[in-house]
Amino acid sequence: MAIRTPVVSFFVGLLAAPLLAFGAEPASVGFDEAVKPVLAKSCMACHNARMTAGGLNVASLSDASSIAGHRDEWEKILLKIRTGEMPPKGIPRPDGHQIEALTKFVESEFERADSLIPPDPGRVTARRLNRVEYRNTIRDLLDVDFRADKDFPADDSGYGFDNIGDVLTISPVLMDRYLDAAETIASRALGANALPKKPVEAQYQSKDKTLRRPNASTVEATHRIGWDGEYIVRIGLPGERAVDAAPVTLGFWMDGKLIHSQQVETKPSKLVYFNPYSEEEFRLVLPEGDHVFRAGFIGDEFVKTLSKEELYKDKTNKYLNMIAFVGPFPAKVEKASRKRILVCDPASDTACVDKIVGTLARRAYRRPVTTTEISKLSGFVKLAQDEGQSVEQGLQLAIRAMLVSPHFLFRIERDPDAKDPSNIHQISQVELASRLSYFLWSSMPDDVLLGLAENRKLREPGALEAQVKRMLEDPRSEALAENFAGQWLEVRNLDSVKPDPQKFPDWGPELRDAMKTETRMFFESLLRENRPLSEFLDSNYTYLNELLAKHYGIPGVEGPDFRRVELATGQRGGILSHASVLTVSSYPTRTSPVIRGKYVLENILGAPPPAPPPDVPALDEESVGNAGSLRQQLEKHRSNATCASCHARMDVLGFGLENYDAIGRWRTQDGKFEVDAAGTLPNGKSFTTPAELRTLLKDDLDEFARCLTEKMLTYSLGRGIERYDRRTLKEINRRVAASGYRFQPLVLEVVNSLPFQSRRGEDVEKEIAQ
Amino acid sequence: MMITRKTLPRRAMLRGIGAAVALPFLDAMSPALASSKIPGKAPVRMAFVYVPNGIDMKNWTPAEEGPLGELPRIMKPLEPFKKDITVLSNLTHNNGRALLDGAGDHARCCGAYLTGIQPQKSAVDIKLGRSFDQIVADKIGSQTRFPSLEIGIEDARQAGNCDSGYSCAYTNSMSWRSESQPLPPVLDPRAMFERLFGKRQPLSPEAKQREGRYRRSILDFVTEDTHRLQSDLGPTDRRKLDEYLSSIREIERQLERAENDNARLEPALDKPYGIPADFAEHFRLMTDMMTVAFQADQTRIMTFLVTREGSSRSYREIGIPDGHHPLTHHRNDPAMIEKVVQINTYHVQQFAKWLEKLKSIPEGDSNLLDNSMIVYGAGLSDGNRHTHEDLPTLIAGRGGNYLKPGRRIVYRKETPMSNLFLTMMDRMGVPAEHFGDSTGRIDGLDLA
Repeated sequence: MAIRTPVVSFFVGLLAAPLLAFGAEPASVGFDEAVKPVLAKSCMACHNARMTAGGLNVASLSDASSIAGHRDEWEKILLKIRTGEMPPKGIPRPDGHQIEALTKFVESEFERADSLIPPDPGRVTARRLNRVEYRNTIRDLLDVDFRADKDFPADDSGYGFDNIGDVLTISPVLMDRYLDAAETIASRALGANALPKKPVEAQYQSKDKTLRRPNASTVEATHRIGWDGEYIVRIGLPGERAVDAAPVTLGFWMDGKLIHSQQVETKPSKLVYFNPYSEEEFRLVLPEGDHVFRAGFIGDEFVKTLSKEELYKDKTNKYLNMIAFVGPFPAKVEKASRKRILVCDPASDTACVDKIVGTLARRAYRRPVTTTEISKLSGFVKLAQDEGQSVEQGLQLAIRAMLVSPHFLFRIERDPDAKDPSNIHQISQVELASRLSYFLWSSMPDDVLLGLAENRKLREPGALEAQVKRMLEDPRSEALAENFAGQWLEVRNLDSVKPDPQKFPDWGPELRDAMKTETRMFFESLLRENRPLSEFLDSNYTYLNELLAKHYGIPGVEGPDFRRVELATGQRGGILSHASVLTVSSYPTRTSPVIRGKYVLENILGAPPPAPPPDVPALDEESVGNAGSLRQQLEKHRSNATCASCHARMDVLGFGLENYDAIGRWRTQDGKFEVDAAGTLPNGKSFTTPAELRTLLKDDLDEFARCLTEKMLTYSLGRGIERYDRRTLKEINRRVAASGYRFQPLVLEVVNSLPFQSRRGEDVEKEIAQ
Repeated sequence: MMITRKTLPRRAMLRGIGAAVALPFLDAMSPALASSKIPGKAPVRMAFVYVPNGIDMKNWTPAEEGPLGELPRIMKPLEPFKKDITVLSNLTHNNGRALLDGAGDHARCCGAYLTGIQPQKSAVDIKLGRSFDQIVADKIGSQTRFPSLEIGIEDARQAGNCDSGYSCAYTNSMSWRSESQPLPPVLDPRAMFERLFGKRQPLSPEAKQREGRYRRSILDFVTEDTHRLQSDLGPTDRRKLDEYLSSIREIERQLERAENDNARLEPALDKPYGIPADFAEHFRLMTDMMTVAFQADQTRIMTFLVTREGSSRSYREIGIPDGHHPLTHHRNDPAMIEKVVQINTYHVQQFAKWLEKLKSIPEGDSNLLDNSMIVYGAGLSDGNRHTHEDLPTLIAGRGGNYLKPGRRIVYRKETPMSNLFLTMMDRMGVPAEHFGDSTGRIDGLDLA
């Protein structure tokens, strides 16, 4: 039904014009100097007409024009030479300068060739909602909090992100879960099924091992809340502390979020008990589903004064040993979801049923719906009524159908001709609205955005920019920090890392969550306040609460709330000094300069090191023992030439972060060895402290900006970066540079870019050939 | 004394809200299963239990060929089952090797394990092949409620890249329904329980029938929508929707079977509650349900990806704080090898407990273990050097009256692992000419 605009778009023109002016300069050194001698000396012996080892004959690659003509071969050659896989042992190896000259020449030829062909927006495969998107979409569609991450199998990821269309597959197991989830969600949204008549109690106790104990002041249990409703939560607190012990703050968290806190007395009650024991209880409205509940004393200093034996003795400590839930009791207020769905009284007439169903379907499918679609969905209401059920139960059935429909589960974009790769066209405004909302919110478009798109006003001058700004200010843009930054910076892995509790007794869920919060809030401040990208690399502020400030040794921060803190010393600044990043790039027992160096190369500099060549074992970091410091051992290994080429850069970057231990604390000693955080990069620049390393990284801001652009474009499109995207990347980068490297222009340029705005038909032949 | 305000027995309360702590349930199960006893000859089941990062071969391989004598350290927990296992040596997965594709042995060995095919090196353009279990499931799966079940323990939440340019799909799943459709394992015991026994409290027969009609009309509705939607899509998008449709068809088939199956499984057990933190407990819960699934003939084929290939899980349960994967790159440091051996042994211990359970369940004149072929093994032998030859492999059970266990069989070096699968296909009643990189069948497995 949508009417499409003509093929040639404003955006294509916008991008193509400056690119031509910006095209590659001809290389100063020619093919005969830079390439030919290397081919002759190092390749010809095997890759000739007679042997054609690996199916390659370099004799046919005799001049510069062969580079564009045999692109695939050349890409492979470059890769093999750069990674050192080729030439093999025993064949003369080109030196570093030769490799660089050859690479530079070939790449400039690639660029020249690229500038001659029309821009290609590529094509994004239909994307299934991933678990996060599903959960957020249900939240925004129906006001129901459904824990898809608990209920659905994990999504596969590609290019470091879990929203890549090509790898988001559907299995029968997942389909089964979708059907069940739809039923649960629909009944929670309308609540047409009754609560159980009698509330029940579930108890988790440490003595029968149903309660986990992440540290001495915290207990944790995973509990399934059976129905949305109100519950009494009861905490068991055996023991007592010294007569002069201070009261503590008892906190209660659900899925990492503090949802209740209150003061608790810890000194002896003077009542006569054989076993001192008290309980605290409070009422909370809790959402259905699996949740991790945690109860604990916030900032409990007292336990640090106790020996291991004293921790769980009733006479020496007050601690936690039980969490109980009693419920559900009907919540006093009407569910927000009911208000949202029941826009009229469905019992009144069928027109209202159609209206309710139509309103929901438009939002669920994120596009206008036809009357046929509405009447089919309303048919489910009738079906239920024919079965003797209520109209609301019928609406539940219609919602179930919507939630398993491919229109809901997939984001599918249509083409005028899906099989013509030369058919480049702008995506429809409604499709654009979904691209925007899933990029910035990991969720469906809201009514404002969808309304603009339906009225074809989204591409009016200034409209997109205004929407991007509005959406970034909306709290839902937290999703960008959570999902984009969480995966880009690998902070999500904090959930799976397990630092050794012997070596790092401070580690616990509270500290872990504090680490996550710091990075998330820092990212959000850069984004929302449109701050310079350089602050990622070095900044004079961060976000801390008391726990994390103590971890960092920063005084004067009190209480569990996070706030912006100015950094007074050079110890911290920028994400590479965040405990989150430093922890996910360490082993459970100690730091690894190699992993950290690789992390910086991959996520900050956009220069992932090639995998080690086959048959070269991973660098032996694990034999670090008593013979010398970790650094000495690593340096010894770099005397191996094969390893040295990559590790020379990788390890040095990691050494620069050695002042932080495996959970990100500042240190000057590593065991019995003094920390040496100095290093010299292959480009000759050197540093002696993490602060100096940060300054060096900041000096080459463009390198970081390019890395971030590539990651963000990948995430926004849900596909990998292809050869033809390079000019888009360059162009975005040029504009971001012109803006003074600020954050919002980057987001806006990604949104305005050709691949985000347009798509083309599929290259069917290529698809079949694969 | 301690004052508690409990007024109801705890278990009853828990059951009241449909959630319960993990409790041993197998004994309680038996009466409930009486109705689903299989008439006639017991079917043959097969399962694959996969452990990552190789196994320390010095402590795995029995010294002698032929009858099993003293079992080496890692296999020690299997001592009571010495007469039930067959140890196979020298089986190799050539397609796990680099073969010019460079690094990425972990992704490759797991991808190749049940497919015999080398995975395509790509982060997103995943391409492998149908796995052995799925080929068999296609032929015999229609006889049971689930053609196959895929189970695992380790959550795949891992941001960043997986292994050297390979998609995480290759290590997150070991079963592949098609060359581009991995089947992710179910990790949560509760999810597994709901899959086997249904999600809700038992419904009245009328409500159950009505729910069946509802589901059917929903499935009809979305199938019709999808067909209309598909007509003008490009091939890749169409393939995505094909996956969707084939999953819908699978659900329809399950629905049909459930409706025709009057002896439906009614669990006399509490629903397991979430994912236990303790490895052994998690392993036990999953294998308990796998036992039920075999026993009640809900499926005859299962794959169990114990932890992901390349897993860096630490094993605090046995006092090992280091990650498994970094430990396996031990460079012959005895202290590290010791920890690897402990992890390997710990895995086998859990496996042995499962075998004990299978063996305790009588079936006709024999028992459930006798009627199964449970392959236990890894996709690498030496995790330190990433070797793909002489993969640690054993089969537990007799596959009906087929295998003659209690021995170690040494094959010619470089015998393809695919040859074992090809041979097993005969036993599963799905003979084929060829599988993966097979070169023929292997000898010595049958009674003859």
